[in-house]
Amino acid sequence: MSDIPVFFLHGLAYAGLLFLVSSGLTLIFGMMNVLNFAHAAMYMVGAYLSYTIIMQLTGQFWMALMICPVILFIIGALVERFLLRRVHAQGHLGELLLTFGLAYIITELVKWYWGNYPLAVNVTGFLSGSITIFGFIYPIYRIFVFFSAVLVGGIMALILYKTRLGIILRASVNDSEMTNTLGVNVPLVFMGVFAFGTALSGFAGVIAGPFLSTFPGMAQEILIDAFVVIVVGGFGSLGGAVVAALLIGQLQSFGVLLIPKLSVALIYLLMAAVLIIKPSGLFGEES
Amino acid sequence: MKQKSISLITIVVLFLVGLFMPFILKQYHLNMLTEIIIFSLYAVSYNLLLGYAGLLSFGHAAFFGLGAFVTAIAIIHIPGISLWNVILIGVAATVVAGLILGGLLLRHKGSYFALLTLAFNALFYAVATKWHSVTGGDDGLSITRPNLALGFTSIPLSSLTTFYYLTLVIMGAAIVYCWYFTNTAMGKTVVLMRENEDRMKFLGYNTNISRLILFTFTGALAGLAGVFYTFHFQFVSISAISPDMTTAILLMVFVGGTKIFWGPILGVFVYVIFQNYLSNVTDRWPLFMGLIFVLMVLYVPGGLSGVIMNIKQRFFGKKNNNGDKTAQAEEVIS
Repeated sequence: MSDIPVFFLHGLAYAGLLFLVSSGLTLIFGMMNVLNFAHAAMYMVGAYLSYTIIMQLTGQFWMALMICPVILFIIGALVERFLLRRVHAQGHLGELLLTFGLAYIITELVKWYWGNYPLAVNVTGFLSGSITIFGFIYPIYRIFVFFSAVLVGGIMALILYKTRLGIILRASVNDSEMTNTLGVNVPLVFMGVFAFGTALSGFAGVIAGPFLSTFPGMAQEILIDAFVVIVVGGFGSLGGAVVAALLIGQLQSFGVLLIPKLSVALIYLLMAAVLIIKPSGLFGEES
Repeated sequence: MKQKSISLITIVVLFLVGLFMPFILKQYHLNMLTEIIIFSLYAVSYNLLLGYAGLLSFGHAAFFGLGAFVTAIAIIHIPGISLWNVILIGVAATVVAGLILGGLLLRHKGSYFALLTLAFNALFYAVATKWHSVTGGDDGLSITRPNLALGFTSIPLSSLTTFYYLTLVIMGAAIVYCWYFTNTAMGKTVVLMRENEDRMKFLGYNTNISRLILFTFTGALAGLAGVFYTFHFQFVSISAISPDMTTAILLMVFVGGTKIFWGPILGVFVYVIFQNYLSNVTDRWPLFMGLIFVLMVLYVPGGLSGVIMNIKQRFFGKKNNNGDKTAQAEEVIS
């Protein structure tokens, strides 16, 4: 039991990654009311792209961290403009099914191009080292994962609550028609949000590569966890995503330590408990 | 009235055609047909949720898989159990699961509901994978079909032909019952709730109870299909309860079309035959599945049955929704 601080740090690192994935998901859901099933597939694209950029082209982790989100931003914008917008009139069923189909196509294309086996992404230099915390030697990379999530979350909160863009975004959520009437190009805002959310998942994918390794089932694995995060945290709530990601990160980490047999079921039990006590999630608004 | 007698004649004709199939088809194709009939019930039950009640569930495989696993477990652990009791236990388990899950999840609607059902399906899948001592985990469970006891005689079901007849009769009866259900007051209530829930509440209907009954009912039907799935393959693996099984049924129903009762059955025919053909040609089946999904959503949102109905309308021109596309075009034709 003396390993407790280590497991706590593991939990924090996983929480950071979960937040990066689910914040994009919850942002898109909150703004556009679209549950993006293709989100985790985009995360997978980010991870595999980073493999090509780091291991085959440049050897620079930072390059991947900058380039992948840009590429995914463009993919996201194209998907929104040419696919999602066309089925918007069909209501949420059409949008769900579309992203669902896209998830299959993207996952399969990734397997086609990169092969159906795990690929190792290694970081070099400062990030590959380890430091001593609480008397334990701990890899720096995992701490980096957590702090990059803190940084991204901080920037998102600043944009949403302190800038003019943030006001427009929040107004579009509340009443998109009225915002449109007031002269804001709401379709463009939606395209931007979707593209930004996708870029975030790509960023998360790059971060995940050296942390959890890059493998064909990675999209499905994180998708369910990210969904549980936004259910527990409350749909469309960024603050809720923070708390839920921290909670589930620790639950995963200590679940493996304390009750290994039940650990997979723990997060579902948490979700069921939240649903019974507060169906709209911890920070969700009553609809 | 006329509509109804046409439907009845169609059912009788289809049943008679089904009776003659073992004399015409080869073993391989009869196998496929049995599978199609089982999946038809699964698809029809799913469409009662999706097409009629407008509830998009990503967790229907939880019921299908539960029925399938309970069947295998009952046959293995209760020696000499009769066929009828296996079916009874399988369906009863899904009814209980339906009531519990429905009570938890039906408070939400739309995307929320879809997401939650997916999460619970994933829970069932995780349990089935990890609980190795009961479910066999990745190895699955093998069984042999019990004999069909009819009181005066007992018919062995080991041959495909006899099992095919049993499937045809029971699955057929369940599908016909579903069709009957859509014409009952309860069936109409469900459709009206989808169209305008507030008005139904105002008229004094308890929409929550109606929805729970429907959810449990469709779950039990999916469970029954699951029971026969295990009987058919004499084997059950975790793929029966995986979220992929929900995806498969969603695709079948969507390809067939959700607006018409027999649409999903058409979808099952197309899907099973197409998949059998494609999986011989390519191992990129999920890619084609995704492409079909996207293209259907973009260009044929009404599904194949919608296309057929459109063509029929063009040639036999009953243009009853001319100019008034909102209410009538949306209405489910039974």
